[in-house]
Amino acid sequence: MKLEGKATMLRIHFGESDRWQDQPLYRAIVEKCRELDLAGATVFRGVEGYGASTLIRRSHLLSFSSDAPIMVSVIDAEDKVQKLLPFLDEMVAQGLVAISPVEVIKYVHQHGQRC
Amino acid sequence: MLTAGPAKKVTIYVGEDHKYHGRTVYSAILDFLFYRGVSGASVLRGVAGFGADHHMHTARVEVLTGNLPIKIEFIESPQKVEELLPKLHEMVGSGLIELQDTMVVKPSEASKKGASRPSVPALRREGKAKLMRIFIGENDKWHDKPLYKALVESMRANDIAGVTVYQGILGYGANRRIHKDSALHLSHDRPMMLSVVDTEQKLRAFFAILDAMVQQGLVVLSDIDVIRYTHDYSEGERRKEARP
Repeated sequence: MKLEGKATMLRIHFGESDRWQDQPLYRAIVEKCRELDLAGATVFRGVEGYGASTLIRRSHLLSFSSDAPIMVSVIDAEDKVQKLLPFLDEMVAQGLVAISPVEVIKYVHQHGQRC
Repeated sequence: MLTAGPAKKVTIYVGEDHKYHGRTVYSAILDFLFYRGVSGASVLRGVAGFGADHHMHTARVEVLTGNLPIKIEFIESPQKVEELLPKLHEMVGSGLIELQDTMVVKPSEASKKGASRPSVPALRREGKAKLMRIFIGENDKWHDKPLYKALVESMRANDIAGVTVYQGILGYGANRRIHKDSALHLSHDRPMMLSVVDTEQKLRAFFAILDAMVQQGLVVLSDIDVIRYTHDYSEGERRKEARP
């Protein structure tokens, strides 16, 4: 895989309890990214926040029923990222999808060779 | 800060059970007033009452319907009240808002404890900068030390303005390995992201060091506008003592 110069960063924000076809939405998105052969995807869990539903999402230490905010970050060439958008339209029922331009400085594989 | 002279007194009547975006209206209004810098507000709970729906609300034990009347009061300058009213209007729902002219004879004062903190306003600095994001794995090492920790130390040593390390819960990257935080196996190779902000020049100067340290991963750069809040250190010169 090759990734250099100008690229696009896609960030998707939603809640941890959001689901897609009987699995957590964030897992479904990461699997979709792999399926589409995107360079990478990372899921982050936030501590507190509010968003599209304007409810405060908070992960409580005591209750396991938390709905923490989740952010999935995907970076690849713009045309590759665009391929993901139609699927997100379908999968993300409530949330935010944002795109921003980035410059790739380094993208390296296991054995340290540069691409 | 409220000063002596003409002012407005706002009284809002709502039900204790009324909801605004999933929480009680009165706590939502109180938070709104607090964060909009209103100098003070009180919430009072009534014992019994009725409102627009002409339904009697009481606290008698035999009637457990609840939804007691709640009264929220605050006093502010006419301009401030004018600013707040549209949002309050939206928040009260079926409740009532009353506005009265009033006269502040003596404004309340902040307690001495709060006043002892220097009220130096934060300096706001804006400008163009770069945001660098580094995606690596939690288990990546650099000289037997976690790579993310080594990177933070190295940035500190190179006077980079600031860095924050985020731990992901799931992800895959350059080597197509799925990094997962799973409760069942404690292998813990979670994805990590370092977010670094500084000027382009300083970040570019750091690339050589970064190149030597990051054996696998992704580094991206994006343009950002910095809006920074800093304190004026001229009084205490706290910065000096922070730097060994």
